[in-house]
Amino acid sequence: MTDTKQHSPGAPPATLQGRVFTPHSHQDLAEAIEFAFDYRGDVTISLRSGEVLCGYLFNRETTSGRSWVEMFPASHPDARRVYYDEVATIAFTGEDTANGKSWDTWVTKKDSERNLEAAQVASQAHARGHL
Amino acid sequence: MAVPLSQMYTVTKYVLTQKLRGVKRYPLVLMLEPLFRCNLACAGCGKIQYPDHVLDKRLTPEQCWGAAQECGAPIVSIPGGEPLIHPEMATIVKGLIDQGRYVYLCTNAILLERKLDEYPPSKFLTLSVHMDGLRDEHDLAVCRDGVYDVAVKAIKAALKRGHRVTTNTTLFDDANPERVRQFFDEMMALGVEGMMISPGYSYQKAPDQQHFLKRERTRELFSRILGKPKRGWQFNQSPLFLDFLMGRREYQCTPWGNPTYNVFGWQKPCYLLQDGYAKTFRELMETTAWNDYGTARNEKCADCMVHCGYEASAVEDTFGTLSGFSRTVKLTLLPTSR
Repeated sequence: MTDTKQHSPGAPPATLQGRVFTPHSHQDLAEAIEFAFDYRGDVTISLRSGEVLCGYLFNRETTSGRSWVEMFPASHPDARRVYYDEVATIAFTGEDTANGKSWDTWVTKKDSERNLEAAQVASQAHARGHL
Repeated sequence: MAVPLSQMYTVTKYVLTQKLRGVKRYPLVLMLEPLFRCNLACAGCGKIQYPDHVLDKRLTPEQCWGAAQECGAPIVSIPGGEPLIHPEMATIVKGLIDQGRYVYLCTNAILLERKLDEYPPSKFLTLSVHMDGLRDEHDLAVCRDGVYDVAVKAIKAALKRGHRVTTNTTLFDDANPERVRQFFDEMMALGVEGMMISPGYSYQKAPDQQHFLKRERTRELFSRILGKPKRGWQFNQSPLFLDFLMGRREYQCTPWGNPTYNVFGWQKPCYLLQDGYAKTFRELMETTAWNDYGTARNEKCADCMVHCGYEASAVEDTFGTLSGFSRTVKLTLLPTSR
């Protein structure tokens, strides 16, 4: 498998955001898809047909028959199924929404930083009519 | 009595019916997540880290009612995200109550007071308010000052209208047992029906990865909190589950007891782990490799003692063993005998 940055097989790095995987074997592909399945951001999948899909990959099935993934495309409400053997590349293009927000970071921040962050979350919720 | 007799009767009848039918794995509480969007961003929560287009997805009322019918559990817990954000939540709740299910609507209570008119009080509806401790602890846990006071005000308003109100509390490894006991006193003084407590779980994608409780620490902490319980404390959960948290009973996880349905489908294997999704409840039950999960079976489950895995185990103990049944009766009638 090749990607645009360093890639060490096995444990995924802290964040995959910005990386592109071009699997050269089924094992590479399966590993890249597992990373995408665990990733809490959108990915962009380029198919061998030339089609490009961007969305959130939320499911995969490998235990029976032809393996597939399911994703919610960012621009379409319905889920889309893609078979493993259709995938050419997987790019981690969306923001990793789970990255860099640890509890320890939160409690060690200065009050002013915490207040600013809390105000931003509140402001976004207010803008959506959720406060 | 923390739980109404009618609810106890319904659950007892349901469990005994499953046993008489020889059903080995049955759901007890449907965890229904109609949306992931929240108006808070708590550091311990792994439920809200998704792209915006996923956070904007909502289950329809029909999907929610269909899931409840398909699953058949007598109790439906509605967490999220914040359920009160869902514009059709009152319709969803009414439909579930019309099915005869006991609904626990879990909320951070920020929107509760202004939404109360949409929810007529009912013995089938419990407003389960997220409270992680006294003011300082709670506001720190939810990452916003002032939320504790808003929630307390909403609890009082809901109680005044005759609602069933409980609290649900997640405890982390920095919990101070004395402060937690004070918190219990304060919640009971408000007049809530009962409290629900659970240790936190290390979500794979939760921002808070180093803060969750390890199993031994969990037992020690809950023993200090729940030992010598005060007469006024009421818990809206199985007394055997509390025994389990204190290390007095050993259980294996029963993840099928609290199946989870959300915008992705039926979540495998449980409310906390995401190993894939099934299209139907039947597919979930038939295709999940249940024996791959639970204590000593899966490293992701090693330290988990969370209610969604073990409360159903405790209920199974109550109805499946003489010692479990007698202990449940004793602790229900004499809760301070623990």
